Amino acid sequence: MIRTVEVLFVILILGGAFIATSYFTVLPPPREVSPINLGRLSFTTLQMLDSSYDLSKAAFETDNSVTANSSWGGVQVALAASLPPNVIYNLTVYDVNDGEGEIYDYVHSISNAQSLGIASDASTYAVASSNVTFNVTPEKIGEGSNGGTLYILNCSDANGWWITGYTAQSLAQDLYNLLSPYFVNTVMVQNKNQLAQILNGSSLRGETLQNAVLINTFGEAVPIPTSYANQYSSDYARYPYLLGQKTRTYNWTWASIVGYPLYYVSNTGYFTGANDHNGWGIFGMKQIAGSGINAFLQGLDSQIYQNNPAGVTSSVGVVTFTTQTIGYCNYYGVYPASYQTSTRALSNALQQSYHLTIAFNIFNPVGNYNPGAIYNHVVAGSGNITGSLLALGLTRTPDVRVTGLGLLSYYHPRIYPSEYTAKGTSRIVVLQLGLAGGS
Amino acid sequence: MASAGIDHMISLTIFMVAILVFIGFFSQTMQTGIAYERHSALSTKASDLLDGILLSPGIPDNWGQSDNKIGGFGLQDPEFNNYRLSSFSPMKLTSSTQSPVYYNGTYYGNLTAGFGGYLHAPYEKSVDYSTASEVMGINGTYGFRLSLTPTITVLIEKISTTGAPLQFSVDVAGTGFLLSNSAISYSFLLINQDGSEYPSYAIVSGTTTTDSSGSIELPAFSAVDGESQAYALIVYSYLNGLKGVGYYVHVPPSLTKTVVPLIDSFQNRSILIAHEDSVGEPPMPPSSSELNYNTSFIILTEDYTLRQVQLDQPTAFGQIVYGSGSGQDNASINVPDNDGILIVTFKDTSSQYGLVLMPWGLGSMAFPVTFGGDPAGQDWVTTDIRQVTVGGISYQAKLELWNIQGYSRVVK
Repeated sequence: MIRTVEVLFVILILGGAFIATSYFTVLPPPREVSPINLGRLSFTTLQMLDSSYDLSKAAFETDNSVTANSSWGGVQVALAASLPPNVIYNLTVYDVNDGEGEIYDYVHSISNAQSLGIASDASTYAVASSNVTFNVTPEKIGEGSNGGTLYILNCSDANGWWITGYTAQSLAQDLYNLLSPYFVNTVMVQNKNQLAQILNGSSLRGETLQNAVLINTFGEAVPIPTSYANQYSSDYARYPYLLGQKTRTYNWTWASIVGYPLYYVSNTGYFTGANDHNGWGIFGMKQIAGSGINAFLQGLDSQIYQNNPAGVTSSVGVVTFTTQTIGYCNYYGVYPASYQTSTRALSNALQQSYHLTIAFNIFNPVGNYNPGAIYNHVVAGSGNITGSLLALGLTRTPDVRVTGLGLLSYYHPRIYPSEYTAKGTSRIVVLQLGLAGGS
Repeated sequence: MASAGIDHMISLTIFMVAILVFIGFFSQTMQTGIAYERHSALSTKASDLLDGILLSPGIPDNWGQSDNKIGGFGLQDPEFNNYRLSSFSPMKLTSSTQSPVYYNGTYYGNLTAGFGGYLHAPYEKSVDYSTASEVMGINGTYGFRLSLTPTITVLIEKISTTGAPLQFSVDVAGTGFLLSNSAISYSFLLINQDGSEYPSYAIVSGTTTTDSSGSIELPAFSAVDGESQAYALIVYSYLNGLKGVGYYVHVPPSLTKTVVPLIDSFQNRSILIAHEDSVGEPPMPPSSSELNYNTSFIILTEDYTLRQVQLDQPTAFGQIVYGSGSGQDNASINVPDNDGILIVTFKDTSSQYGLVLMPWGLGSMAFPVTFGGDPAGQDWVTTDIRQVTVGGISYQAKLELWNIQGYSRVVK
């Protein structure tokens, strides 16, 4: 009998355990087990309400009355219309405070229920005032290191070619506007004497020569200082050879903005003869043809000079930006046409002949030709870069944004957006959604 | 000694029975708990899947404008981010709720949002439920149904009784509430019944605002006979980021034949303008019928007016003939790569006029689409919703998800 009583005690204990377990094992109602994701619904609703910036406008509205024709009245109607009938909401706007105390200050709230039912979730959305302009601060190329100078050839005493419709000076100004925020120093080289000065290793106003970028805005022509014109009067292709040597010495990046690089030398004060023209009515220049780029690369590669007029380009037709270039278009907000026509694409054979490697392809290569790329000269066996060449073999007339984009893509300076949380410029909208009804 | 043995046996029997009973009790509680856990996991899965579909353009990212097979399923517009869906990818979803139409050896989907507006996409170039399940990696584990439903319903009703003038009322409502004080932009397309060989049309546009009940009566079109003339009305409604569109098409009752636009290629943007009698399985018995048609394309501008785009191609207008040995029963045209509305006006040999509209891009005419399996009869179906835009028009994307691996239902 005693065992039966003991078993009854055991049953009582088990029953108590079951009751206790059932009491603490509170299973949620089905609507809470498998609910709508109110957080995401809230977020997508806020995005939709702000798709035409109406939510931003209402958040900064000084009149917070909810009337039929007010901004808040519209928000309220749109909220009610866009949410499922069983979803209730509470939308609250906070101002972002950059001073002492609370981070967010309550501004306004609208709701269609006193409480948010049995389950609720919320999401936040930052809106910006429509009368605020956000700036970006670019990182400077060469900042904190030896370099960061941009030279733009703006010589008034030379003529350009294949820049038809522009002048070198107008292109220089455009490049200055586009690129100067990204360089430590931007120097406009105003005449041939200044060009001679930097070629002779003297800075113009204390800038750093080493690792500079030189943009030749004269298209297929290059300004030649009078002293060098005299010195190389028997063979003007020796001048690009000198440019190649200087590029190597100072680790410059030489940028050719259009066409066949270094095809002519120009000096309007020196080339004054009746035959000193390019054959197309532009005086003050001498054609050196394909010898120019070959001589430049010989100088860059420290080879012995030899006048070599052999052609190194091909007309490859329509070319397209690489995906990386398109990405940098978006990053820097520079949008030249991604389709261009190239009639002076440089041959791949140059890379092996002059120890060049492609550092950045601006355009997709076509066969054995590169319509636009930045080449690094790398000394055999060392791995050190000693001079670079940006060659855009596009047809006339030039779009200097491509040059700017190419340089930015190569150096890729970062851009820093300004603060978004300045007082009065940003507000936080919190939309809390709940399911109507009890449990 | 014997009583002790009996006591032992009785107590043991009671103990065993009690143990079995309590095992039953506890296992029931545990089963319920496990089922709830699974349902909760299903809910999380539904949310993840829905975001995966809406926040990915799929593979390739332009599959909505391609005739090729897909490698990944997603509906996001590849040129934008967030919950902004491609106008074209949803057109390629095989509807699970509407019967297909048959034409010339091919079955076509059959989307519509009312009389006069049709979207027929070829099955062989569309994406079906099993393919989508497969590329999402849920084939054999989960079933789903995805619905894209316009958030705003623009209901147009002809309120004039007979003859001229013609007048409409417009009622605008969202899924939860009517859309009071919303801006309305309407375009009235009236066929020029002037005897031209290929009928053209004129557009009359206007703007107004709904009243506090979301309704408005549009100004009457005084010179238009509401019964005998062919016309269409397209109405856009917008308020604080919410945008909706509705349409109304009327053709005279005496018109017995019509044209059917069928998508031939998404990639080439080619549309077949087919004679109604040649569509169906089997087609109508041959009895010669001719229709002169004229096609044009309209796009929605930023100020919610319609801009007409000329289809500068030889087949933009012409004749389609059914039941005759010499004439073609269809014509092929190409539409631009913008989303917009293809308008086909036509007339028969007895000078009865008509028109049909076809959206190029799902949102252009706020067509709904339902894609996927049937949740009816499933143990537990979980649902999730997002607000999205398709071609600038507000939609709600709803995903219903269920497990098809066969676990038991909740025991209560």
